[in-house]
Amino acid sequence: MNIVVCVKYVPDATGDRKFESDNTVDREGVDGLLSELDEYAVEQSLQLKEKLGSDGGDSEVTVLTIGPAGAVDAIRKALQMGADKGVHVQDDAIAGSDAFATSLVLAEAVKKLPHDLVVCGMASTDGGMGVVPAMLSERLGLPGATLGSSIELDGQTLKIRRDGDTATVTVEATLPAVLSVTDQSGEARYPSFKGIMAAKKKPVETWSLADLGVDAGQVGLEASYTAVEETQARPPRTAGEIVKDEDGSGAKALVDFLVSKKFV
Amino acid sequence: MTQIPFVESPERQSLRQEVRKLASSYGREYFVRQARNGEKTTELWQDIAKHGYLGVSIPEEYGGGGGGIGDLAAVLEELAAAGSPLLMMVVSPAICGTVITRFGTDEQKRRWLPGIADGSFTMAFAITEPDAGSNSHRITTTARRDADGWVLKGRKIYISGVDEAQAVLVVARTEDAKTGSLKPCLFVVPTDAAGFEYQPIEMEILSPEKQFSVFIDDVHLPADALVGDEDAGLLQLFAGLNPERIMASAFATGMARLALEQAVEYAKTRQVFKTPIGAHQAIAHPLAESHVEVELARLMTQKAAALYDAGEDMAAGEAANMAKFASADAVCKAADRAVQTLGGNGLTVEYGVASLLTASRLSRIAPVSREMILNFVSSFSLGLPKSY
Ligand SMILES: Cc1cc2nc3c(=O)[nH]c(=O)nc-3n(C[C@H](O)[C@H](O)[C@H](O)COP(=O)(O)OP(=O)(O)OC[C@H]3O[C@@H](n4cnc5c(N)ncnc54)[C@H](O)[C@@H]3O)c2cc1C
Repeated sequence: MNIVVCVKYVPDATGDRKFESDNTVDREGVDGLLSELDEYAVEQSLQLKEKLGSDGGDSEVTVLTIGPAGAVDAIRKALQMGADKGVHVQDDAIAGSDAFATSLVLAEAVKKLPHDLVVCGMASTDGGMGVVPAMLSERLGLPGATLGSSIELDGQTLKIRRDGDTATVTVEATLPAVLSVTDQSGEARYPSFKGIMAAKKKPVETWSLADLGVDAGQVGLEASYTAVEETQARPPRTAGEIVKDEDGSGAKALVDFLVSKKFV
Repeated sequence: MTQIPFVESPERQSLRQEVRKLASSYGREYFVRQARNGEKTTELWQDIAKHGYLGVSIPEEYGGGGGGIGDLAAVLEELAAAGSPLLMMVVSPAICGTVITRFGTDEQKRRWLPGIADGSFTMAFAITEPDAGSNSHRITTTARRDADGWVLKGRKIYISGVDEAQAVLVVARTEDAKTGSLKPCLFVVPTDAAGFEYQPIEMEILSPEKQFSVFIDDVHLPADALVGDEDAGLLQLFAGLNPERIMASAFATGMARLALEQAVEYAKTRQVFKTPIGAHQAIAHPLAESHVEVELARLMTQKAAALYDAGEDMAAGEAANMAKFASADAVCKAADRAVQTLGGNGLTVEYGVASLLTASRLSRIAPVSREMILNFVSSFSLGLPKSY
């Protein structure tokens, strides 16, 4: 079984977020890493591979990312966790692509790879719309089982549980399919020391738009349907208010605060 | 000589990141809570072991990661920087693991290394004696042969973690060593052996690991309790002491980073006059100086580890001593400056910086004191005459 897991390289959320003059995220000046939400996708891919074991032929997990040169770090991390090989789509023309353009490039890359299952995270942790998995399934013409918080594979049938606010639904899809998983699907593993060392020797291929047969005019900031008009800096952290309970009035002060902020 | 790069490999950096992240999920609060309640940090020990980080330096065929002391030191430094150092890493995998790997028989390696690597077996290390102290040539713990093995007798002091260890690697001398010069031998002594007793020493250090006085009263040991060659003990001992120094350095630089981080965080936000206190050079410069000192000490520690892992024992020994010296001074100054930066808060339990004052002093005393390192550098590196 061939699993392709799509991951994104994002700026470290603990650092300061900056934007370029064209309102795209500044990826140069900050440390990047594998999007935390995509770690869940890698984890589920690895668990599926492990559950399949060696019956039904050996399974292989391929990590796919689109991004600048540094994005290979995201692939590397997934390889350290246990994925088998990586594909890095890197092309300056892709910079600034929206979800629509991104899904096009991803779809063309997936088509070039053997794939029974394409796994995505639920959204990216930087500019997240959470629509790429659905767009990808549409472009590939494959069933899309999205937002799975528990994942099962029974032969050729993928079964997920999707938790909504009011109801839980079970979604089934026949392989090949596109799957996206939530942060409730199971904690992502830490790479073991051996995993870290082994990743060094795992193959990573770099593809350009030309390799995928995608015309540069279809992607990038210019070709994108969505445009970011304005960005605002995160408001500075304020000191906060400490409620002291010396005479039993603490609980009331706390409730008053919550009410004033419309939390309750 | 092997070419050694100035910066660590991407894999080493990944290892640091992962350990840092895992340790941060426990955090300083966990360490402090466990220490204050008289509990151990066993969950963290096991968690670190589970991911193969505890056994990084043990050979793969014995369940380890097949890496080096540089990897192990990176793990310890990141744990310390995240506020949860594991002191027993300095002795169990670093000293005992190394000595057994290098000088043990196949049977000894099979018996002890897998447990040391996966954290299920902890081995303490005992060299210090009440009347010998820094002068390890004076140790009097003695091993005498008997019909089916050895009988060990002596006393040790300040031995860390005996209560959490299944065995102790004890430095003793064989009885026929009449010359008075050190002819040490290393014995693995189970902590439940008859005649082996230990008592905690009350210390003013906030730490989950305790120190003990150890009484070894005619403890009978099988022949294969002896690790390595009876006549080459000194060499074997040093094989274990260099990793110990490198680990002690990593422990110190990690703790220094923790102190600095807390001080810098505070200096950025605390404001009593027009600007945050960190804008005053009287606060900023000492912290900047500490940062430089810590980075220099880390570089020397990495150099010592790289030399050791490349098999350059002599060069590694000199570098490890200097690294240990620099790291100890760096952490003592960093802790001192952090306390000063926090003012009154520097001495509160809530901020927890004050506890680093005593904890950091350990680095200047153990495993080898600042003065003894300067003695070594004076005579070994500079060729000056000895006073002792
Ligand atoms: C928290 C802690 C944990 C420890 N864990 C262990 C352990 O697990 N296993 C173990 O074996 N040991 C352990 N030790 C012991 C430690 O290694 C010794 O304390 C250390 O080697 C110093 O020996 P000493 O305390 O006897 O000091 P001493 O040797 O009595 O020295 C006292 C002072 O005199 C100075 N001095 C001595 N001789 C000279 C000289 N020739 N020139 C200049 N100055 C000199 C020293 O530098 C020091 O400042 C631990 C100690 C501590 C504090």
